[in-house]
Amino acid sequence: MSAAPVPAGAAKPAPATLGLPMGADLPMAEAPAVPFVEIEALRAKEFIPAAKEALGALIAEQGQSRVIRPVFNWAGRNSLFPLHWGLACCAIEFAAAFGARWDAERFGVVPRSSPRQCDLMIVNGTVTWKVAHKLITLYEQMPEPKWVIAMGNCATGGGPFRTAYSVVPGVDKLVPVDVYIAGCPPRPEAMLEGILKLEELIRERKE
Amino acid sequence: MTSQPQTPEELAAYLAPRLGDRLLGVEPFPETLGRVRFRREGALDLFRAMRDDLTFGHCSTVAGIDWVDHREVVYILWSDAARRYVLLSADLPADDPRIETACAIWPSANWHEREAWELVDITFEHHPDLRHLLMPDGYAFHPLLRSFKLHEPEELEVKSRRV
Repeated sequence: MSAAPVPAGAAKPAPATLGLPMGADLPMAEAPAVPFVEIEALRAKEFIPAAKEALGALIAEQGQSRVIRPVFNWAGRNSLFPLHWGLACCAIEFAAAFGARWDAERFGVVPRSSPRQCDLMIVNGTVTWKVAHKLITLYEQMPEPKWVIAMGNCATGGGPFRTAYSVVPGVDKLVPVDVYIAGCPPRPEAMLEGILKLEELIRERKE
Repeated sequence: MTSQPQTPEELAAYLAPRLGDRLLGVEPFPETLGRVRFRREGALDLFRAMRDDLTFGHCSTVAGIDWVDHREVVYILWSDAARRYVLLSADLPADDPRIETACAIWPSANWHEREAWELVDITFEHHPDLRHLLMPDGYAFHPLLRSFKLHEPEELEVKSRRV
């Protein structure tokens, strides 16, 4: 790098023979076309007050819920963070959905390992009574707003173990469920379809 | 240690003077040394003889069976030296299914006995930690008993989504 910053409009220094310093030759090292101070002034003096004024008029005309709520819903449905809750073979399909072939992250779905960072619980697998209270604890640790997807037949209704002594016949006996995904196990496409259905639900959220 | 018994008859001849009338017999059983049937009063003496004298150092399984009129507890042992399995089984009355624990002889029997107690209600006396293994604490039934009735899922309430 050259020692002194290059002022705008100044002639470029001649390239050094040995390629040093290189930075002065790169476009990023040149002075910006619009000085940074002017952009800040534009933001502070004109854009934000104008935006506030337009938004205030829109809220006064249509009501706060119709203006603010869609923004929150748009942000929420495009950044669903599911909790790792793999109990059985459905978790394999859950993991495959985040692999290279299906790439669920392109919908903004990023699995997190802590319930306090999540707003979506995808229950994939057979829920037993032994683990039921742990599921409720993790659900209650998730911050509002939160949603639950029951993935697979076992989480939906107990599956082949519906009348068994140790299996919860459907995770909706423990926590409220928004979307059910059938299949044993569902393919990753089905899981993505369930997430898109949930995004439709969030899109119409009014509260 | 005497020479290792190779047949059920040799095993019966070895155990008979040590257990007396508490040994009910040794039957042949496929791919094992045999199946020892014993009264529950001789459990500890039989366990000690099997582990200390006959080198059956590994208790692979403790299983409980509900035969409605009585219950049965089956121990499956493995000997590294003899490379043989052996089965021990005792019949227990259905109204008083108790037997001495094998935890003091084989610590690996601990969880197996918890499972047998939980599923078919066989009480292992002097067990150090006899509580639920597969079912939640406070579960009131023993679900692999023949008298156990499956629950009706429709009776449970569905948590509805708040609106």
